[in-house]
Formats: sequence, C-alpha cells, structure tokens
Amino acid sequence: MSDDEATRPDGGASDGHAQADGGSAEAAGNPVTPEVPAVDHDTGGFFETDGLPDSASIKRWLVTTNHKDVGILYLATSLFFLVFGGVLALLMRIQLWVPRAAGEGILGPVAYNQAVSAHGLLMVFWFLSPFAFGFANYIVPLQIGAKDLAFPRLNALSYWLYLFSGLLYGVSFFQGSAFSGGWTMYAPLSVPSFLPSIGATTSVLALVLFVASVTIGSVNFLTTMHRMRAKGLSIRDLPLFTWTILLTVWMMLFAFAALLAALMILSSDRLLGTTYFAQTNDAGSMLWTHLFWFFGHPEVYIVFFPALGVMAETFQTFTGRRIVGRKWFIGAMILVALQSFGVWMHHMFLTSINLQAKTLFMATTIGISLPFDLMVFALIYTLVKGDIRFKTPFLFSFGALVLFIVGGITGVFLGAVVLDYEFRGTYWVVAHFHYVMVGGVTALVGGLYYWFPKITGRMYDEFLGKVHFAMYFVGFNLLYFPMFVVWETPRRVFAYQSSFAPWHQIATIGGFLLGSSFLVMFYNLYRSVWDGEIASDNPWEYASTAEWTIPSPPPLENFPGIPDYTDGHLSFRDDSADAAADGGVVDTASGGGELAHETGHEDHHVSHASIWPFVVGVGSFLTLLGASGFRNGSLVDGGMGGVYLGLLLTGAVVTLGSLVAMTVEPFHGPDVTHSEKWPFDGVENTKLGMWIFLASDVVLFGAFIGSYAFVRVAYGWQDWHHLIPAAHVPLPGLINTYLLLTSSFSVVVAMVAAQKEKKGWLLGSLVTTFVLGVAFLVNKALEWQHLFHVHSEAFPQGWDLSTNIASSTFYLTTGLHGAHVAVGLLITLYMIVRAARGAYLGNDEPIEYFGLYWHFVDIVWLFLFPLFYIL
Amino acid sequence: MTSTKLYTAIYVVLFVLATAQVAVERAGYLSEAYWAAFAVIMVLSAIKALFVVGYYQHLKYEPRSVSFVMLGGLLAVLALTFAAAYSIS
Repeated sequence: MSDDEATRPDGGASDGHAQADGGSAEAAGNPVTPEVPAVDHDTGGFFETDGLPDSASIKRWLVTTNHKDVGILYLATSLFFLVFGGVLALLMRIQLWVPRAAGEGILGPVAYNQAVSAHGLLMVFWFLSPFAFGFANYIVPLQIGAKDLAFPRLNALSYWLYLFSGLLYGVSFFQGSAFSGGWTMYAPLSVPSFLPSIGATTSVLALVLFVASVTIGSVNFLTTMHRMRAKGLSIRDLPLFTWTILLTVWMMLFAFAALLAALMILSSDRLLGTTYFAQTNDAGSMLWTHLFWFFGHPEVYIVFFPALGVMAETFQTFTGRRIVGRKWFIGAMILVALQSFGVWMHHMFLTSINLQAKTLFMATTIGISLPFDLMVFALIYTLVKGDIRFKTPFLFSFGALVLFIVGGITGVFLGAVVLDYEFRGTYWVVAHFHYVMVGGVTALVGGLYYWFPKITGRMYDEFLGKVHFAMYFVGFNLLYFPMFVVWETPRRVFAYQSSFAPWHQIATIGGFLLGSSFLVMFYNLYRSVWDGEIASDNPWEYASTAEWTIPSPPPLENFPGIPDYTDGHLSFRDDSADAAADGGVVDTASGGGELAHETGHEDHHVSHASIWPFVVGVGSFLTLLGASGFRNGSLVDGGMGGVYLGLLLTGAVVTLGSLVAMTVEPFHGPDVTHSEKWPFDGVENTKLGMWIFLASDVVLFGAFIGSYAFVRVAYGWQDWHHLIPAAHVPLPGLINTYLLLTSSFSVVVAMVAAQKEKKGWLLGSLVTTFVLGVAFLVNKALEWQHLFHVHSEAFPQGWDLSTNIASSTFYLTTGLHGAHVAVGLLITLYMIVRAARGAYLGNDEPIEYFGLYWHFVDIVWLFLFPLFYIL
Repeated sequence: MTSTKLYTAIYVVLFVLATAQVAVERAGYLSEAYWAAFAVIMVLSAIKALFVVGYYQHLKYEPRSVSFVMLGGLLAVLALTFAAAYSIS
C-alpha cells in the first residue's frame, strides 16, 4: 500500500475518479474542507423556519414535511417496532427453553403462532426497511445536494401511513387474535375457514396500508434521486449509500406492487368472499407462493442493500480508503437488483412446480450469489488496503460482513434442490435468514452510530458503543449458531426433540444477551443526546460524503447555497444570483451571506409544514379498521357490526376530506432549476412521479391479470367456459370499451382546449368524460346485477363472487378496474369545479397528468375486455 | 396534421380495432381455430394499447427512459405470469 493510497479519502487514483463519492477532494489530514459559513444556532441558522414549530413541541412532529424530521420519525418508530418484535421473540425463546406440550409454558398454542407470525411480519416490514429508510430520508437528500425530497408532503404521508399501519397491526391482537399463519401467510391456511378471527383480517389490511406507504415512498425517492441531484453530480458518482437506496427503491417499486396484488386478493377472499385461495387444485396454494415470493426474494435485497450501503460508507471512512473496485461493486449491485426478480421459485422447491422449473431456478440462484462474492471480496480487500480504525460504527459494519458471509454460505445449501428437500421447514432456514437479515440489522445499527453525531450534533459514548457491540455480537452468535447445530428442529412450532434442549437453552440465553445489548444502546444514545460531547461538522476523519460538509445537525434547508459539483468538488453557489456562476462561495462575513441569501430565498421558498398527511393517516387507519368487520361481503353480527360500519364511513370521510384539503392547500416543493436530471430531463417532477406510479400500477394490474391467467391455466384454459354462465358474450364489454375509448378521447380534447384557452370546450369535454365514466359504471352495475341473479341449469343460485374461481376472478379484476374508474371520476369532478372557476386555461399540465392516469385505466380495460368477454 | 386531427384519427382507429376484435369472435374463428383467433385478438389489444400510450399519453414524445421504466414493469409481470404458468405445466 502506497502512502498516496492510504492518505486519500476517496482512495485510489486507480480509475481516475477522485470525486467518486461526490466528496471534497481535500487530501487527508484535512477532513473535507467545508466551504460553509458558520451557523448561528440560536437564530435557526441561515434559514427561516417557515412557520414550522420548534422541535420541542409535539405539533412540530405532526405537521413537519422536512426530510430530516421525517427521517428521525422513521428511525424512532422503527426502533419501537424493533422492541415490539424483539419482545415477541424473547417470549418465544422462553417457550422454547425446553420442549413442552401444548398449553404448557408461557405461551399457549395460538399465542405462540401469533407471536411467530407477528415477530416475522413486524421485524421484516415494520422494523427493517423503515429503519433503513430513516437513514435514507435523512441522508440521501444531503448526499445528493437536494433541499428536500421531490414531494415533501407525500414523504410525510408515507411516514404516517407506515405508523398507522403498524398501529393497525397492534390493534389486531385485540380482535380475537392477530394473524397466526406464519409471516409468509401461505394459502390456504390464510383464508377464513382456517383463520376465522377478525384480527387476522386486520393484520392483512395493516400490510395493505404498509404497502401503500412503501409505494408512495418509492415514487418520491425515485423522482428525487433522478431529478434533484446537485449540478455536476452524475448517477455514477453518487455516494455508495445513496446508490444502494436508489437500487432498493427501484426494486421496491416493482416488488411491492406484486405483494399488493397478493394482499388485495387475500383481503378480498377474507372480506368479500372470493375463492382464489380456497381452490383445491394446484392454483389455490401456488398462486399465493408465486405472488408472495416474486415479491419476497427482491425483498431480501430490499432489506439488505441499505445495510450494504452503510457497510460501504463506513468501511471507506474507517479505513481511510475508497472502496476497492468501486465501479465493479456498483455493477454487481445492479446485477443483483435485476437478478433478484428471477430467483423466486427457489422458495418453492417443495411445492408441486415441475423439475424443469426447479432446475432453472437452482441455476439462477447460484447465479445471484456470484455478484455478492464480488462485493464481499471488494469489502475485504478494502480492509486489507486500508488503515483500520476500530470505532463503534466500523465494528458493527465489520461484524455485519462476518455474519453475512456465514448467512450467505448457508443459503447456498438451500439453493440446491436436493439439499433443500432436507432443510426446508427446519431451523436451518431460520438460522440462515437470521444471519442474513439480522446481519443486515447489524450494519444498520452501525449506521445509527455513524450518523448519530450528524443527526443530533452530539457524540455518543464510544466505550458504551463498544460494550454494545461486544454484547450484541456474542449474543447474536449464541442465539443463532446453535440453530445450525440442531437444524432438525421443525420451524414455526414449539415442539422439538428433547435431546436438542441444551442447544435451545444456549440460544435463549443468547437471545436475552442480544436483547439487553440494545438497552445499553438506548441508554447510551439517550444520554448522549443531552450530555454528549458537541460534534463538529465532520467528526470522522476521511468521511468524504456531502452530509459531512454542513453543520451537525444541518439547518432546515440543509445547504448555505446551491450545492454544485461542476468544477470537480462540492461548493455552494449563492442562490440569490446566478451571477455566481463560478461556483462562488457564499460570503460569510458579518451576516452578508445571510442577507444575500434572503433576497433569493423569496423566489423558491420551500414549505415545510402540513397537517394533512397526518390526517390522511388517521382516516386510512379508521377506514381499514372498519373494513376488518366484513366477512363474505357482510358485516359481523351484533352491535360490533354497526361499530365497524361507523368506523369505515368516518374513516372514508376523513380520508377523502383530508386528501381534498391537501390538494387545495398552497404548498411549495423544492426548486429543481439547478439540478442534474439524467435520465429524465424534460419530464417535470409531477409528471415523472405519475409515470413511476403507473409503472407500479402496471405490475399491480399485471399481477391480477397474471393471477387470472395462472388459475385459468391450472383449471384448463378452455374448460374454464364451464365455469361461466355463457362463453363469448362480448356485447356488454364492447359497449364499455366504446365508452372508455370515447372518454379517453374527451380527456385529450380537454387538454387541447386548455392549451388553446377555450373554456367552453374545456368544461364540455371534462363533463363529457365524467358522463362517459358514469355510464361505464352504470353499464357494469347492470351487467353484474344480471349475473348475480342469473338462473341457469349450471347456476341455479345465480353467479356471484363466491360461486367459483371464474366468478371470483371476473368480479375482483374488473371490480379493481371499476374502482380505478371511480377514483378517476372523483378527480374529474374536482377538475370540473376548478375549470368552471377558470383554472387550467393556458396551463394544461394538471389535465395532462390526470390524462396519464385515465388513459392507463383505459389501456387496462383494453386487455380485460378480450380476456373476460371474448376469450 | 394538427394534433386535434391526429387525436381524432387515432380515436377512429381504436374504435375500429375494438369492433374488429368482436368481429373475429362473431365470425366464428374462435371456435374454428381458438389459439390463432386468440393471438389475433390479443395482438389487436396490444396495438390499441400502443396507440393510446404513444399518442394519448405522449410517450412517443417523452425521453426513452420513461418508456424503459414502463417496459420494466411490463417485463416483470410477463416474467411472473409465464414462469408461473410454466411451473405447473
């Protein structure tokens, strides 16, 4: 190792990218020179607080839309769910101290099943990803040089939907019992015949709400990261943590849409009485496994990538060396992100899929381990070439690497079909995925220590941090390694062979040690927030990413000017005047900078507060809680039925009202004039957000149509005609096709009218669109009414949702489409009112963006029509 | 061709193609050669969809990258559907 290599924060000159991390190019010893004026903390720094209450008041946290606040909310809430899920795990470990008969010990059989299921769901969904997204919210805008996310209120909305979805899960414990069919929620165990409690329905609906939060978040992050990077910061040069988040959100966008389809179908089976998962042929149980694992395998990387990002950042900072083979490391991650969508059937080797499919997916599974090998070696080699400093964040990241290697190697066993026959359903699987998943948590805990000084402005206690790591690492391995030894223990149940008891006792002790290590962390961080040593802008030598060039904690609008990388290193341009085209530094002397800043500030004043995201969260919570009272299309009996109906209606009114209020409320998102927008130059933020949302909707509808195709193939494609009252009756569908096509055309006419500023035309075509949409729904209602009451030899009782799988797929798929039409009509109504008051003339963008949605709904129908009416 | 005329022409094409799909069925092709007729009808749907996406949603005039995003979603679900259907064959 040459001195030169060791002393550059960005490491090698090897591929000529000294600026790869978007950091400052200052040589070592001079940790990044922040070209930043001093901040006056007392007056709130450079920036006015925009009516945002002080952070000591509760109101601040209810109304804030600032990405840093939202990041802190995510971190705090996710840690709450860590404790929630962790306590459930400890209860299970107590139960497993010795093998017991049902009813003995601390947990009864149903309670144990609930604990197993809730532990898995809460940890994977409500702790792991949101914990990573706390950092993503806080750090990514800082690393890319943005003042906030593209849609700050939607970001707050993501958070509130996340929090309320978790609370909804909590409520489900008090409605009979929470979901108790395992975190994978396999069918047919998940249908009401086997899990009849209302709480089980609520758990499923809580997940639906969680997925809504994730989808909104994905759209927001993708728009932000693609269109709001500082000038001169190309995607290639993004810091590695931001890179991992970028790939994570792309995976989330597509993967979670498939999960949403699965969950909506399950909800429909539970609430409305469709029969997708009650089928007794191949399709019943396999449909769920396909949809779930199509989501579930990318989910492994969705959870793990941010951890990898933290590892990459901390390895670079604490070895003083840029990661070895940075380009290859990024390339490997891109490969994994793509490959992750092609390995899902390795979770299904013990189902009835054919041998060809198993073989193919065994090969792709081995294929996906290869890029990971490259990443692991890149990390190891970075250590070899670097000069390691064993600070707490590094210890956790290094520990994570060790654990991930064990977890990865034991996973390769499961990827081999013959070995999986033996290991499936055993503690081998449990041990393997805890080494991977909790291995990821280990790195994220490192991230918490790493960014703690940036977020709070205080240092944590290094000694206690190391104590935490020692307890954590020992506890972790005591807990999970014995599971490999007694791998023959059956998974998910509390009965096991008595000779395994000593190993399970070691695991239980390890579990308590791991759990108590977090008490040390909470104590350390809590004390340090108040009493810790004041942290400088950059407390870590060699940290080279942009968040370390600004004060700790950063001011409300992050930067003292417009971040700019065009001349090779980070500088802040005076945003009051474009005259500072040389990347001039804000004049800091005697408040001059502040003045200069304020002049320009009026032009792109950013809003930071809105109460409506919170209210939408409350409304959604009430709506779904109310919905849980339905079974087979009717309310539960007795007084509770009325309560549920009341909750549902109240929730719907609150949700709808607050969405309207949010639309009407004046709110200014961050300015994007001075930013890199590759590869979406010329697609305005809202438009891009709409397109990205539609891409996820393609997957949602695609998964619904795919489910229909799958169950129809399983039944026999053409035998299917026996399941419907009359095959090939295209007329009702054709009429609706004409109606929708015409309405699409009228939306286009409305857009042209808005461009040409012809108010009469505009109003006329919007009203036409509305009338055509209503006609579509009326025609559909008449058709359904007819089918419900059909009297034929084959269907003497009519043809309703529960009649058979064909009726279930017909009503649910076209019903989902009808719901999209209904939402479109509400928006149309809103636009008619606004257009009547003279809006949109000369400003056709809102109509164009609505058109994107409406035409998409039209396109979906273009495929539903032949599939459900002709073929 | 002005945009209004273009939009109107596309509307007419969409209308005709939808009618053609039903005509294929009415002419009895579905009972004669189910899978050939199936292919024709689905291809007609795809053509309609391309017209709507390309012109009504202006995808033709957006950067290619937007098309790739949509294509990504489409490929994902096609992979899911075909692989799942194949796995039980």
